[in-house]
Amino acid sequence: MDTVTTHPAAATRAWLALVILTLVSLGLGEWFPAATWLPLLVAAIVWVKGCLVARCFIESQVAHPFIARGLRFFIAFAPMALVATAYFGDHLARWTALGLR
Amino acid sequence: MGVEAAVLPGMAVPERRRIPGNKGIWVGISCELVEFTVMFVIYFVARAHYPEAFHEGAARLSRLAGTGITLLMVTSSYFVARSVLAIRAGRRRASLLWLASGMAVALGYPVAKALEVGWNLAHGIDGSSGIFFTVYYYLTFNHLVHASWGILGMGWVLARSLAGAYTAEDHAGLEALASYWHATDIIWLVLFPLFYVLA
Repeated sequence: MDTVTTHPAAATRAWLALVILTLVSLGLGEWFPAATWLPLLVAAIVWVKGCLVARCFIESQVAHPFIARGLRFFIAFAPMALVATAYFGDHLARWTALGLR
Repeated sequence: MGVEAAVLPGMAVPERRRIPGNKGIWVGISCELVEFTVMFVIYFVARAHYPEAFHEGAARLSRLAGTGITLLMVTSSYFVARSVLAIRAGRRRASLLWLASGMAVALGYPVAKALEVGWNLAHGIDGSSGIFFTVYYYLTFNHLVHASWGILGMGWVLARSLAGAYTAEDHAGLEALASYWHATDIIWLVLFPLFYVLA
């Protein structure tokens, strides 16, 4: 039982979006390296790119719930950790010091 | 198998949620995602403890190499996705050509990585250059290993395609390879900004 959900044109649009977002994040890192909002924006771009691949290439929206949830968790994990490290890095360092520092 | 959920007119809803490829490949992909989640934890803990080292380290890496690998990965992933769409439509020759193109582009990744490592060494960057570079080599080499398995798998699926093993009705092997490659692509899309963008 196969259900075709992705149109070739949708896959092409997803690829174009991935290329553009890659170049945009590179430009942001080059032009605004010290901006306090950079980690937030970069995290958002990572999440959007992950979702694009999951939905348009893997078709996670019609995949088994275990697969769909696993992908959703993995794609959200690094962006959330990035934001936490960027804005609450001191707390994270304290919690993970294990009394060694 | 009956349709149990109500379906709105004009809405394409699958009869049941499906497993792209086969169960075996998703056991492998799940292990891969858990492995990289643990490695991301290592990255973020190290980043929280040594923020300056991570800011300075990213600025020393070749952004051209990182961007090149990213474009190779997303393009290869797209070609493999088109190969699956083509075989579903019963276009076996088109599927074969998309897959061969995907593999040709994917092979650019180890080449780009070799050039990047050469560039790094020429600029005095190795695994002992500091915490940032230790984590960078650990994660990116691990990704290269996973990508290499994917490229080997692509070669196998390409050979099976040439032998006419896949049809519109039965192409689970091709879809399994595609799922693995897309998951490996997602992992790189996370690695790219962590090492090359956030200086």
